[in-house]
Amino acid sequence: MGRLSGRNDRHPGPPKWAEWLLNRFSPTGMEDELQGDLLEMYAYWVKIGGISKAQWWYCLAVLRLIRPFTYSQPEGHRTDRTGGPVRTTSNLSPTMIRNYVLIAWRTLTHNKAFSAINILGLALGMGCSLLIWLWVQDERSIDSFHANRDRLYSVYERVFSEGKVQAGHWTPGLLAQELKRTVPEVKYACSYRQHAATFQVGDKIVDIEGASAGEDFFTMFSFPLLQGTARAALNDPTKIAISRKMATIFFGSPQAAMGKIVRYNNRRDLMISTVFENPPVTSSLQFDFLSNWKAHTQDVDWLQTWINRSPATFIDLQDNADPVKVEAKLKDFLKAYLHEGDGGGFHVELGLQRFDQMYLHSTFKDGQPDGGRIGYVRIFSFVALFLLLIACINFMNLATARSAKRAKEVGIRKTIGALRFWLGVQFVGEAMLVTFLALLVALVAVALLLPSFNELTRKQINLPLLQPLFWVGIASLLVITGLVAGSYPALFLSALQPIKVLKGTLRFSPQAQLFRRGLVVFQFVLSMLMIIGTIIVSQQIHYVQTKNLGYDRENLIYFQVVGDLGTKYEAFKQQLASMPGIQAISRVTSAPSQMGAHAYDIDWAGKNPNTREVFIHNTVGHGFLAMMKLQLLQGRDFSPLFPTDSNAFIINESALKQIGYKEPLGKPLTALGRHGTIIGVVKDFHIRSLHEPIEPLVLLFHEELDWGKFLVKTKPGQTRQALASLEKVFKQMEPQFPFTYYFVDEQYQKLYQSEQVINQLTTIFALLTIFISCLGLLGLASFTAEQRTKEIGVRKVLGASVASVVTLLASDFLKLVALAIVVASPLGWYVMNRWLSDFAYRIEISGWVFLLAGLLAMGVALLTISFQSIKAALLDPVKSLRSE
Amino acid sequence: MKRAFLGELEEVVLLTVAALQVSAYCALITQTIDQQMARSISFPTVHTTLQRLEEKSLVSSQMGGATAERGGRQKRLFTVTTAGQRALIECRQMRSQLWQQIPTPVLQLWGA
Repeated sequence: MGRLSGRNDRHPGPPKWAEWLLNRFSPTGMEDELQGDLLEMYAYWVKIGGISKAQWWYCLAVLRLIRPFTYSQPEGHRTDRTGGPVRTTSNLSPTMIRNYVLIAWRTLTHNKAFSAINILGLALGMGCSLLIWLWVQDERSIDSFHANRDRLYSVYERVFSEGKVQAGHWTPGLLAQELKRTVPEVKYACSYRQHAATFQVGDKIVDIEGASAGEDFFTMFSFPLLQGTARAALNDPTKIAISRKMATIFFGSPQAAMGKIVRYNNRRDLMISTVFENPPVTSSLQFDFLSNWKAHTQDVDWLQTWINRSPATFIDLQDNADPVKVEAKLKDFLKAYLHEGDGGGFHVELGLQRFDQMYLHSTFKDGQPDGGRIGYVRIFSFVALFLLLIACINFMNLATARSAKRAKEVGIRKTIGALRFWLGVQFVGEAMLVTFLALLVALVAVALLLPSFNELTRKQINLPLLQPLFWVGIASLLVITGLVAGSYPALFLSALQPIKVLKGTLRFSPQAQLFRRGLVVFQFVLSMLMIIGTIIVSQQIHYVQTKNLGYDRENLIYFQVVGDLGTKYEAFKQQLASMPGIQAISRVTSAPSQMGAHAYDIDWAGKNPNTREVFIHNTVGHGFLAMMKLQLLQGRDFSPLFPTDSNAFIINESALKQIGYKEPLGKPLTALGRHGTIIGVVKDFHIRSLHEPIEPLVLLFHEELDWGKFLVKTKPGQTRQALASLEKVFKQMEPQFPFTYYFVDEQYQKLYQSEQVINQLTTIFALLTIFISCLGLLGLASFTAEQRTKEIGVRKVLGASVASVVTLLASDFLKLVALAIVVASPLGWYVMNRWLSDFAYRIEISGWVFLLAGLLAMGVALLTISFQSIKAALLDPVKSLRSE
Repeated sequence: MKRAFLGELEEVVLLTVAALQVSAYCALITQTIDQQMARSISFPTVHTTLQRLEEKSLVSSQMGGATAERGGRQKRLFTVTTAGQRALIECRQMRSQLWQQIPTPVLQLWGA
């Protein structure tokens, strides 16, 4: 026959990669012949079909020849008993994999109820964990977008007085500049103080929340600028930086706003030098304008002292600076600036906290940053883990319970020669398949639920579908859940001995039963904990919302003193008094429930000169006590009949206790530079949130302050008329300012916003936990009923009643639930006590909570199993025993 | 052990091995089938079939006959074993038996 011309230089040879593949992956011992043969074939193919076809055929042939698509025949064949070669099928051969998938699918579809319970339970667990994970990620991402976040620090103060220490991020307004000037490790520093201002352009007047900040602000923080430069944004008192939002409100677009003039607080005109992008939701600093710090300290002159403090101070360290050393260096920084004569026992230290940790670690304990939102992040991470665990336990439980059905399969597989390891892989694989289905359901559910979740948590979380990290997370969720859920069946079923399984019925060892019961108990302990938590959290919330605060917060409205309103107070009052809906008017410097201004120069006769007392102070107008319905224990209210009242004080019980006067009326007291006398004592009332104990309070009197707030009591049920009256008078007197008002009771509720979110979340998660637990219980109960069909038949034949059979079946499970209640109660008490210790005023945990939670768990469990039990008990014994 | 049964593909390959005698190796077998029987059986299929035949001990193989056109690589040369010969003969006998049972007039009608 026509011999082949072989490899010819006239045309290109076969593709290099295919040659390499063949070279690398030829079946053992055949490398030479195959390569040679294929070269000849290639030449032949070129002749009959052309080069491109030849190359194609060559590649196809290579792909079909290389491992693992051909099985290799090792030199030493395995032989069967007769000496012939044995063809073994690898556990991972395509046939076997197909078989695994087929069996998994059949198991899934064989019992649809079981599969539905499994998938639904897992999907719920995974969906919740996913949501919580997204929430936690979001919480953690707050403030992490700043480029030099590992060098940004916030300065906080520790104030020691009388052995007590208080800490917070309030610092003197002069600190930032001084730090930058004197400490070489501090590269940049800026003060930052949040406040609102009224802006006017043409006829448009709007109140806007913003802040004043030092000129380094935009250099330190990575807020993107749309117009202008970071250095020039804040260095001129006649200029201002505004957000895209504010620019759009006034001028339509950021470009149009540049260089325009806005009127600030009806006090001066500022030029817009910079427009920045709206601060992202992941920023804890939120502001729509930033004004020059020097201009701000001119408006608020106490910011130019060392003794008064309020603004935050942020610093940016040099690249090579060691924060620990800097902190040690700064510790006693303020000593040189505070007057020595102000007495000992009052000692201020500075500390540093990383800026991006401020959001989550916002509270202080013993002068060190301690908890804060991080507590909730931890709690919810645990809840996510719990929910997932409970769902996994369901899966394990149902799988082991049903293992009787799978036992025969395992027996056969083992007889044929399956290895234990590969059986384990099979079961884990099945678990993965179910997990995968559940994950799909969970993902869809999360996508659908995210908008409502965002509303609940007041966040803007999106499914980060484009982030590789998200998919890594999803994949690891899948693998971990699959592994955990499939682990017990994999270990338990693969250990079965084929001879026992195939001979007769499978008997569960006592350990296996114990394990299953243990899992049920564990699930219900978790459910109980969630129920207890929910009850106590909502009780506490109810308590804080309805607690008698010592003052009447109903029908109280307050609004900011703007423009010249402060000095026009008398006229305002008179004009308003006759208007509809208005009951009383007074004025304060800080609104009820938000009194937080500290007076540091408190002094009285007989005070220990070595200690320094800090009182809360509030300057009020006439009628404040009556309007708030505060109870006077001694003395009298401020009154127009006594002109000397401008040097009079009213104190609360706590302050009296601190001072220690036996007969306080008429005794001297000094506060905020006023030397006067005490004219009254009021009963303690809550001046801030119930998280904090009632502090000593001193009330001062001043009717003509040009700042602060007006407080208006409306007639019950006439809020609308009162607001109309107020707005009318307000507009008449201060047309340059918008009328913005607040309800005292609403502001009080806002103090507990995060607790309310927590309350809603715990309620939802408690419901889910118990639901998932019950799903598991339902599966187990139906399985038990199925297994004991014959026993029930015999019992019924012998005369057992339906009720007795139901009791028999149900009591097994109820015992477990009872055990769970016993375990969970002390645990729940401990955990919730810890939570409540955050509140200075709190409920006591009473026994009925545990009783109620127990009854609830018991009731739900009973409902779940009774359906199955009754169904089993009603079964006709003739049918169940027919085959015997 | 069950009697070695020859599949149609196996029969064709085995016959080709027998026909090619000393120079039967995979590439040539494939091409021969391709050309002489106008049947396109792919190279990997022939390769697998030869392996199966060897497993059934119907052919035996030895290495040899490297040529330049195959890059100096050796060929695996197949020869039909005694068992293979017997299987082929048996095959032919069975067929001819059946052929003989067809009446001659019928065959003439077919034009055979």
